[in-house]
Amino acid sequence: MLPSGLPNIVGDDEEITRFLTQSSHYNSAMPKPAAFMPDPKSRNKSVFRCGADPERIRELWEKTTNFQQTLKAAAVCKTAEVRNAGVDVIASEPPDAHANIEGWPWLVNDPELQKAKQKEIAAVIAQKSALVML
Amino acid sequence: MRGSSAVSPEAQTVRFAVSAVVERAERSQALFGDKAAAISQLQAMAIECAEPGWDGDEASAINPLAVFVAENFVRALPNFIPLPEFAPEPDGSISLDWIPSRHRLFSISIGTNNRLAYAWLDGADKGHAVARFDGDRIPQRVVEGITSILSHGYASVRTA
Repeated sequence: MLPSGLPNIVGDDEEITRFLTQSSHYNSAMPKPAAFMPDPKSRNKSVFRCGADPERIRELWEKTTNFQQTLKAAAVCKTAEVRNAGVDVIASEPPDAHANIEGWPWLVNDPELQKAKQKEIAAVIAQKSALVML
Repeated sequence: MRGSSAVSPEAQTVRFAVSAVVERAERSQALFGDKAAAISQLQAMAIECAEPGWDGDEASAINPLAVFVAENFVRALPNFIPLPEFAPEPDGSISLDWIPSRHRLFSISIGTNNRLAYAWLDGADKGHAVARFDGDRIPQRVVEGITSILSHGYASVRTA
């Protein structure tokens, strides 16, 4: 068990949540692929295990943000869908309920092909995600 | 004395020619206006993401060279392709997206060089590739890819 009380392993049925600070990361239909593209420094994508409850999303955001950005929306996806896209969700605390989407393709010799592969995965996750406006 | 309403054939030809020129000018003005508005939107996004950490995490600032290439890409888009939506990416690139529905999308990344990464979803079909952009002409494969995704009708879902 983790300090937050959550299990060490993120279950397939758990919903993971990506905080969105840019209105250009979603439209009226869905989150965009860019919302799930991995960070090149950490090589993963930071998410929280908090589902689609707006109150819980705001609570975790306020605990972890430096308040330089405004939280505008959140993209919520079942962990099983993320795994089906070819990447994994690994718990990473602290902070509480934090996890990372890991296992993205990295091709040192061809950064653009690497990016194209990542984009396809990000597009699949975005397609399977629900948008929560905050 | 009543004035004649008759128009000589020469005058008629001139009138038609002038009308055609005006119509072409109006059409190109409308198209230029749309592209200019899209480029303004792109520049506004770049300003908003000009500092690292714009995503609340570790995202890099949008690279000005990526903005320059993206502007050229928008200018080079054939007029029959709708203008894309823009989104910043954590490595400082810019994503150009055509999203007619949740099940069909085409997304291309523009960074600091002329090789562009792109991916698409089309129902159960999906894929990715890389194409080279010379700054003037959109690669044919990209044009075909976008056109294919939009071929079932493009109900724009732009938010801005």
